[in-house]
Amino acid sequence: MTRIPTFIKKFREKKEQQRHPEYQSGRSRQSTVPDQLHPRLPGGFNLPPFGIHQLLAVVIVCIALWAVGGIWLAMQAGSQWVGSWQDDIHIHVYLDRESGSAKHGDEADKLEKALQSIKQVRAVRRISAAEAAAWMQGWLHQADINEADLVKRLPLTFEISLGDEKSSFLFDDIRDAASRFGGLVNEDEVSLARAHSWLAQASWLAWFASLILALAMALIISNTLRMTLLARADEIHLMRLLGAKEWFVRMPFILEGLVLGGSAGIAAWILLWPIILGSSAWLSGMEVDLSLWSLFPGLLFGGGLVGTFGALIATANVVSAETSA
Amino acid sequence: MTCAVLVDTVWLMPEKKPLIHMQQLMLRYPTGKTALSGITLDIKKGQFVYMIGESGAGKSSLLRMFYGGVRPSSGSLMVQHLDMRDANDAKIREIRQRTGIIFQDHRLLFSRTVFENVALPLRVQGWQTQRLIPRVRKVLEYVGLADRLWSYPQALSGGEQQRVAIARAMTANPPLILADEPTGNLDVDTARRVLDYLMDLHRNGATVIMATHDLHLLESHPGRVVQLHGGALVGDDS
Repeated sequence: MTRIPTFIKKFREKKEQQRHPEYQSGRSRQSTVPDQLHPRLPGGFNLPPFGIHQLLAVVIVCIALWAVGGIWLAMQAGSQWVGSWQDDIHIHVYLDRESGSAKHGDEADKLEKALQSIKQVRAVRRISAAEAAAWMQGWLHQADINEADLVKRLPLTFEISLGDEKSSFLFDDIRDAASRFGGLVNEDEVSLARAHSWLAQASWLAWFASLILALAMALIISNTLRMTLLARADEIHLMRLLGAKEWFVRMPFILEGLVLGGSAGIAAWILLWPIILGSSAWLSGMEVDLSLWSLFPGLLFGGGLVGTFGALIATANVVSAETSA
Repeated sequence: MTCAVLVDTVWLMPEKKPLIHMQQLMLRYPTGKTALSGITLDIKKGQFVYMIGESGAGKSSLLRMFYGGVRPSSGSLMVQHLDMRDANDAKIREIRQRTGIIFQDHRLLFSRTVFENVALPLRVQGWQTQRLIPRVRKVLEYVGLADRLWSYPQALSGGEQQRVAIARAMTANPPLILADEPTGNLDVDTARRVLDYLMDLHRNGATVIMATHDLHLLESHPGRVVQLHGGALVGDDS
């Protein structure tokens, strides 16, 4: 243990005496009374003592916030994963060879023009049957398919590069143009290109789930604080009899709610790290790089907000006899 | 016994007006029971008033009205120049901050130390901790409990607990002290000592109104005696 030099001790004592001269003189008179420079006084901005109920509330709210954090992490992962391949998505429109060349030779040109005239379409490339057959041969790892035979069977293909796949009527316009000239749209590709709308729907669901969980958390904190309020009913009653203002009586409980929610938020954020660390290899393979730091303010302030809301519910109707003027 | 504690604040009030003025005061509870009826009484600043009467005579109800615990049903009541019938919450809070209340069951907070109990009125009035520590020490020294500063009330005797309640009532230096049977649960000697403290506060300028059953105390500690019976004023020796 480090020994404090005597001159430092004397300096500290002198400083302390300068700060609290009356307290120090009282101490010298009443040597039996121990020092307690920071007594625990009720009301105002002083927090009530924490007990097992508060600890349990923190644990439960932490689990709920952890679930909320998990939901938004999943949203983040989904958004990044979709974003990693969505720019490469092309929509293919197929035109039967009969329609494309033999009977209606100019139908293919008309379809190409119709597709190009759609505002959100960036480019339209015509893929010949030979090119498609060569690609298919490569895709099937040189499966020794007779390419000439394949060329005869493959339809004429248009590859559409999209400028804004989030546009409302883009895919309807493509379908409309294709159907006018007897073409068919690859609907699987359309579904993939519209992944952003699934994400938007999932985002609504995530908000809804977060709100439901927030309400549950607020009620849990409210219930805990209500128990504390009941346990301290005498103290509240007495403070009101002594002329305390309502904010003075309620503030400790509101602060407690804030602290409970905020600490649960921090705990939940810490508990999300194992998920990130445990799945990092898998996620990096999917070109997903999750950031937990972006969730920290949300969990901290969200937790605090929920706790404060719960405290406001708990303290909304605290009635003491003899104290309503 | 010295009481230098109370001399540092002088409560300035017009001398001619009584501190408490009642005119045909009536209190009827929502249950229909009439607790007080037709009480007309003035209590001047600096008086020591005993309020006597049988159980249910209305002593406690009258004391409760003085700090806004209940409102008069009819008649008028002025406490420290405030009309208690029309006073809003903020005014009632002001009156309570200027009134020291001692309850029969002393209403100490058993989960708080003696210091915290006595400091509560100062805390309510916004005193900073470092400022209130010497004040609480001083008040507890006055009631002879300076060495019990950090004890819990449970560790104190009945008399000591009542002295803590007195210390709490006087710590904010109020001009009016209301005591509701403060000696009710105490033996004769301890009751006399408690009354000594109240008399000392009175000598130093506080107006003390004390509801009591202990008529023998009136001989050793004289004061104005107001008698209630069945909610009506039946005697006043002023």
